[in-house]
Amino acid sequence: MAKRTFKGRPILPGKIEGLATVSHIGLNTLSTYKANVIGGVTDKALCTDGDNKDLYNKDLNGAILCLPQTIGSTTGGFVLMGVAKMGLAPKAMLFANHVDSLAIGGLLMADIWMDYRIITIDLLGPDFLEAVKTGDPINVSEDGTVEIG
Amino acid sequence: MEKELKMENLTIYAKNITILTGDEELDKHLEIGADPHGAMCTGTGHSRADVKHDPSAPKPKMKLTQEEQDIYDGKKGEVLSKVMKTVIAYGEAFGASKLVDLGGNPHTVLLGGTPAVTPVIDILNECADAGLKTYAEYTINPRPYDFYNVEVDPEHQLKLQSMFSTQTELEKMHVRLGAKNYNYWSCACYWPEVGNAPAHGTNLAWSESSAVNYANSVLGARSNRNSGGIEMLCNILGKAPYFGLMTDEGRKAKWLIEVKTKGEPNWSVLGGAIGMKVMEDVPYIVGIDKYLGQVDGISMGKLKDMGAATATNGAVGLYHVENITPDAIDEGRKLLAKDYKTYVIDDEIIEQVRKHYPNLWTQKDAKPTRAFVGCPHNSFHQLYDWGMKVTHELSNRGQERVAIPLHLLCSTLVKDHFMDKHPELVRDMIRAGITFTNSCPLTFLGIPGITKTEFAVTNSNKAREYTNSRFFRDEDILEIVLSGEIPEEAV
Repeated sequence: MAKRTFKGRPILPGKIEGLATVSHIGLNTLSTYKANVIGGVTDKALCTDGDNKDLYNKDLNGAILCLPQTIGSTTGGFVLMGVAKMGLAPKAMLFANHVDSLAIGGLLMADIWMDYRIITIDLLGPDFLEAVKTGDPINVSEDGTVEIG
Repeated sequence: MEKELKMENLTIYAKNITILTGDEELDKHLEIGADPHGAMCTGTGHSRADVKHDPSAPKPKMKLTQEEQDIYDGKKGEVLSKVMKTVIAYGEAFGASKLVDLGGNPHTVLLGGTPAVTPVIDILNECADAGLKTYAEYTINPRPYDFYNVEVDPEHQLKLQSMFSTQTELEKMHVRLGAKNYNYWSCACYWPEVGNAPAHGTNLAWSESSAVNYANSVLGARSNRNSGGIEMLCNILGKAPYFGLMTDEGRKAKWLIEVKTKGEPNWSVLGGAIGMKVMEDVPYIVGIDKYLGQVDGISMGKLKDMGAATATNGAVGLYHVENITPDAIDEGRKLLAKDYKTYVIDDEIIEQVRKHYPNLWTQKDAKPTRAFVGCPHNSFHQLYDWGMKVTHELSNRGQERVAIPLHLLCSTLVKDHFMDKHPELVRDMIRAGITFTNSCPLTFLGIPGITKTEFAVTNSNKAREYTNSRFFRDEDILEIVLSGEIPEEAV
């Protein structure tokens, strides 16, 4: 496949290569990680959000998540911190839109207080989610460049 | 299932929106707004859709005072420096230009000690260990359970104690950081009895969507919709980054909502209809001031119910009501942003929204088992209204007790005020089987397995949104509570 390159804003920069996991709708953080943060599951991060057909029942542990932004309850930030503490957080969150105030609080607190970086890039643009498919090879650079393919 | 939506303002993501209920007939009626499922909604309380990345633009940097710079540099301790660095990073993500001092008292959504909250407890205990506290005493959302009045079944108690396994740790942390006592745990912290009602223009860093919505709109204070955790760091610092709903520009209304119902609308449904349409933008609402008169004990309850629904069916952090709310009184329609859009809500839309709230009971035709009234927590006048309605109707029917438990959710302090003013009414209510509880219906109805045995009804759009309880109008709830049956006309 032809490579495509997108340039976003590196909020929590980092370098990573892997396969993309894509959500085309806003990721409802609490609904996604209910089994981990309420149900006591600690070995996998199976998505429990039945509304999210892209991710439902997929193991998101260590994923490179490509998404518009997160949505839902104001618990979203600390839910991300909770799964980070369990070692089940995504390795990167690549936002097509502007990062939301729910996710960013948790992502920054995990980074600064828990020394747990989830690479965070936003403003990749709507074309990014058109281009990327789950399973695509993806390469993230420190400067916020994301290469698909 | 995917479907193509043909509405204004949709971007490419709409092609892939997954319907919520799985029932296309139901969902097409829920698709009132440009973004019916919140897929484009950032939750900040104002849209960031117009922000694009410009790699050549300099990274936003806040201007700090010397005192702030000293804190950042660690001259007042390593922990406070980390607090400052986090708050600054938060602000810079949103292009904030500066920090502003906070006033009034903080309020936090951090009510429950589930495993997800453990990192936040650890971080905030680290702050407390360093001798830090919030800049003023703070209020907290309702405790997650009430074993005296709601979860009296031992099985429910055990499940909740298991779910909230770090509740004691969370509560100890709150005490160390400056929380008020249990009486002040209420989502409606702004009622006069609870007393956390900041003055017009006060800068805040609150969480809890309905409280932020009320403080911004009815009190004219200024807070963004903060996530649980980051708001506590702002409150420890006593400063918040200045962006979004704290700015004059962010408080401009992108929607003119014209309410043209023939009579007083159901406030929760009206709020739902507004939230679904505007999502996270600020609405300027006209046509309802005649039902409110002024901001007083009675209208505050209506505004609370409407606002909470705008914040749950959408992500509204601020609304203006013509001739009623402080910003609208000061500035009127000058608050409308350039190129604002107009949406007319009439009785047909109200009924459309109400009738298509889904029935998520696991047995669709089950008989109701209990009613939760007051989410967010009831005001003094709302307690009085329900007490009078239920006891009079019981008397009219020659009936001694309600058919199913009626839980009136309220702060302990509001209940105490109500008992003080109307002791005989409270006595009659308790004898009739009504309970007062300072807890939260979302946690009871979130007990694993509870949906198989409990079929709750509620007059709250918020409780309906976050649980599988069914929404009914007040008059229908009254009949259900008295008879234990759902009247045909209520559906």
